[in-house]
Amino acid sequence: MVNKMRESIIMKIHYGTALAAVALVAVHILMRLTQGFAESLEYANVIANYQFLPYAGMLEIILILLSIHGFNGLRVILLELKQGPAYEKAVSYGCVAAMIGLIAYGSRTIFMVNMGMV
Amino acid sequence: MEPRDENKEGIGGMINPRRYGIERVAYILMRLSGLGLLAYFIGHIYETSSILKGEVGWAEFLELTQTNEGHAVLAIVIGMCVFHTVNGIRVMLGHGGVGVGKPARPDYPYIPASQNSRHKMGIYSAIVLAAIAMLYGLAVMYGE
Repeated sequence: MVNKMRESIIMKIHYGTALAAVALVAVHILMRLTQGFAESLEYANVIANYQFLPYAGMLEIILILLSIHGFNGLRVILLELKQGPAYEKAVSYGCVAAMIGLIAYGSRTIFMVNMGMV
Repeated sequence: MEPRDENKEGIGGMINPRRYGIERVAYILMRLSGLGLLAYFIGHIYETSSILKGEVGWAEFLELTQTNEGHAVLAIVIGMCVFHTVNGIRVMLGHGGVGVGKPARPDYPYIPASQNSRHKMGIYSAIVLAAIAMLYGLAVMYGE
């Protein structure tokens, strides 16, 4: 499926995830600057951030957007470097697997802290 | 039969900044900043997972980032982030046909219409904004 998707569609997804991520990451950074930088990173503050459902939802969306954008960018760079059916398939599936792994790992943190499992 | 030169320079050709002017430099910086940001993103996901170890685990990991080296890395990440964003918007506009000039008959010296002053200004703006953001980031990190 990854190999059959048209590059033009993949690039639209790449640009769409980039624009959405820019807006949401800006909110994420501004949250660090609403208080002092060091103060905002204190344990209690960070836990409170994670347990505020809209913010946790935003973190989850950022995680998904940046994982898609980042690993597709890596795929593009690797495909610029070398081509070939087996290589392209390995790179595409490898990047999708890494993307799913990172989303799963990051989601685990968000869900566990949000549900008070710390 | 002579072996066909496929002009495959590999990674050396890909990272050679000497040809094609500032556009080539932007191409390299875009890829380097992209790879750097992906590495930081993976590290950031791992770093934030230390909150699951409780207050002590969080404080221990945070301590690693609250050093001069940590601040320097974060300043570089800010610079990469701003450059990648601003240059990325320029590239997107270019792909959409914005600011690439009108199609015209190719006359000597065959200067591509797309490599015009508007896009060059975009690249230089991305570099300058990245530098300003890095300085602001350092001011915030050391201003505590």
